[in-house]
Amino acid sequence: MLQFTNLSKTYDDGTQALKEVSFSVEPGEFLVVIGLSGSGKSTLLRCTNRLIEPTSGSITWDGLDITGADGAQLRTIRRRIGMIFQHFNLVKRLSVINNVLSGRLGYLDTWKSMLYRFDSEDQTRAFRALERVGLTEQTYKRASELSGGQQQRVGIARALMQQPEIILADEPVASLDPVLAHTILGYLERLNKEDGITVICSLHYLDLVQRYATKVIGLRDGRVVYRGTSEDIRTMTDAEFKDIYGQEAERVGAGLAARTPSSASPTGAPSSGSGSLDSGSTEGAE
Amino acid sequence: MAKTPQQKEQSRQARVTARTAAQNPLVAPPIAAIASLLIPGLGQILSRQTQRGVLIFSAMATGGGIFFWRVAELGRRVQGFFPSIGRALERSPGFVGLAAGALALVWLVAAWDAFLCSRNRKRPGSGVFALVLVSFFVLGWQIAEIDVVKMVRQAPEALPPLSRVIWPWSAAITFETESLSARAEILVGEGTPPTRPVPVEDEPYLLVEPNVGSMTSQDANYQPVPGTRITLSGTNFAANTETEIWWRDPLGNEFRPREDSKYLIFQTDNEGEFQLEMTMPYRMAPPSAQGPFLHTVEARQVSRVGGPQASEALKMTISRMIETIFMGMMATFFGIIFSLPVSFLAARNIMSGSRLTMALYYITRAILNIIRSIEPLIWALIAVVWVGLGPFAGIVALTLHSIAALGKLYSEAIEGIDGGPIEAIQATGANRLQTIMFGVIPQMISPFISFSIYRWDINVRMSTVIGLVGGGGIGFLLVQYIRLLDYRSAGIAVWFIAITVATLDYVSAEIRNRLM
Repeated sequence: MLQFTNLSKTYDDGTQALKEVSFSVEPGEFLVVIGLSGSGKSTLLRCTNRLIEPTSGSITWDGLDITGADGAQLRTIRRRIGMIFQHFNLVKRLSVINNVLSGRLGYLDTWKSMLYRFDSEDQTRAFRALERVGLTEQTYKRASELSGGQQQRVGIARALMQQPEIILADEPVASLDPVLAHTILGYLERLNKEDGITVICSLHYLDLVQRYATKVIGLRDGRVVYRGTSEDIRTMTDAEFKDIYGQEAERVGAGLAARTPSSASPTGAPSSGSGSLDSGSTEGAE
Repeated sequence: MAKTPQQKEQSRQARVTARTAAQNPLVAPPIAAIASLLIPGLGQILSRQTQRGVLIFSAMATGGGIFFWRVAELGRRVQGFFPSIGRALERSPGFVGLAAGALALVWLVAAWDAFLCSRNRKRPGSGVFALVLVSFFVLGWQIAEIDVVKMVRQAPEALPPLSRVIWPWSAAITFETESLSARAEILVGEGTPPTRPVPVEDEPYLLVEPNVGSMTSQDANYQPVPGTRITLSGTNFAANTETEIWWRDPLGNEFRPREDSKYLIFQTDNEGEFQLEMTMPYRMAPPSAQGPFLHTVEARQVSRVGGPQASEALKMTISRMIETIFMGMMATFFGIIFSLPVSFLAARNIMSGSRLTMALYYITRAILNIIRSIEPLIWALIAVVWVGLGPFAGIVALTLHSIAALGKLYSEAIEGIDGGPIEAIQATGANRLQTIMFGVIPQMISPFISFSIYRWDINVRMSTVIGLVGGGGIGFLLVQYIRLLDYRSAGIAVWFIAITVATLDYVSAEIRNRLM
């Protein structure tokens, strides 16, 4: 169990991004964090693996103190937590396979990795991860040649290489075409359900929140203003959602919105990526 | 908040009133014109066109000032104001007339412009400024000593050396030569006639008849008095070969005598023999020269042996060109090595940590800017003082400039690094070295290579001219050839510079294209 206790973050310029945030995440949950931009979602996710140092409060993970870990301990913790980003954050000049392999760095000997040498076991793992996100054909392309949706799938494959117990997803679909959103979140949901990976994800669209979340936390001005279970979310109305979320909240689109709450599979999404999702799911399910 | 139509109308009127009040001319049009006649631009200022007025005033002041300076310069040897103007007009009537006319025209048009400014309450066209440009053009023509007539008149004289520079290849090859010659002595003045040499088997032999005579000289009225006619007969020379006659006076100076103002050149016959008549040439003798002198006449055959060879100029050019390319390469190499650490000091995102590092950042940037603003040629002049003439001075100069230029380019590449991938690599549990190797270096490598190749290109180009000031390389050779008036060899050097620079330009552009 991941336990956040009175977590606060104040930036150097005096901005208070998080104020006494406390909540817990059970293993296997799909926790969605919602809130306006600037409400502290990104800060919260980045504090979890300490890409940002919290000012006070603590995060413990099954008794392990994340906030107090030193350099080597922190790296061991980080490699158990995968992360995907709004802007994918791939190294654009490296090939897809090298980007995926870089997810393994936390496990590697420093000097070997300096020469970009990965043992065959890691390479097999990388090919499997790419297969799972349906990008086998793009293996040796440069990351910059891929489309946005493909880049985000490389991001997921990179996170998979860490064999993570938790995946942090910071607005994973915000810079993608809305129809691609279901493809990407579909992968996360499968990792959540099939592999039992805990997902902590920040999202913008109510439909997506209703469709994927098992638990929701609403942030406003760095404070937790809403906590809800999956049942609460399904029955949540737009008005309620807007109340926490503000003016920005939107539905993805009328067509999708009508079917998503009841549809069990994301493959119904009419996206170009959905074909490869099918093949990925059959191969990845073994 | 929506405005009612009445409110809109009110605010529009308010704006119009405000504008007209601000632009209302202070004086009537004729007065503005007169003011501008007294002081150009004053009328415009009084018509509330302050900027325009100041511009016209400063243009007139500058133009007039330069005009009187040049006139004073032209008539500087004459005392007094009007005489010196007269002298200037005499020396260069076209310039003085045109410039004075143009300035006067600007003056009048400025007055008319002031009249319009005051009457129309808005800016007239920019005709007056076009006229200002024309008058400055006339002044510039004289100051820059532009002389198209001279350019055209001297073109025929410049053509031979220029054509040698443009197509210098006859100097690129030479042939090994063998010379075959025989001499005979001639006595001038009283004395014992020289003994005739004994012919030797298979060696060329020259007989001169008579072997006593007098040189061509001048009488008291400077009229030429022809010298003795002599007959030269040669045997055992190479057959059917061009042969020259050379003369050597008793002081040992050699020259080629002329007959009917043509050098003596002829072909030997099938047996390698010849016979030739000539007048003994004119040779000035010092007044103290008395008594008998022995002059020597020589028949000389120069023939090609073997095939064509690269000339000394071609070999020198190639070796200097190689030196030049390596100068550029070494300077780039040192430049890269030294600018790498410097570029981190000059990158804002790296140095923004504390006040101390920011101070260091500003100092580094300032130093880089100063070094960069001084041309490599000037650095080479300084480096020659420091390490002496030669390629090393050129390398020092180019290295200094490369450090500054690359330091700036590299630091901008570092500033342009995307933080996202670095964050993502850190999130995988990678340590600092791994993050640099996977997150930072892949982002920097291609701009670094691209800038470095570009710099190499520039450095080779620069090193071709840095020799002009003693920095070694092909420029040094080029300057020497031009000062020796050896235009063909200079032409070879120019050709090699052009070929090398063009090739490098293409190659570096191609490499950079592929990297991008």
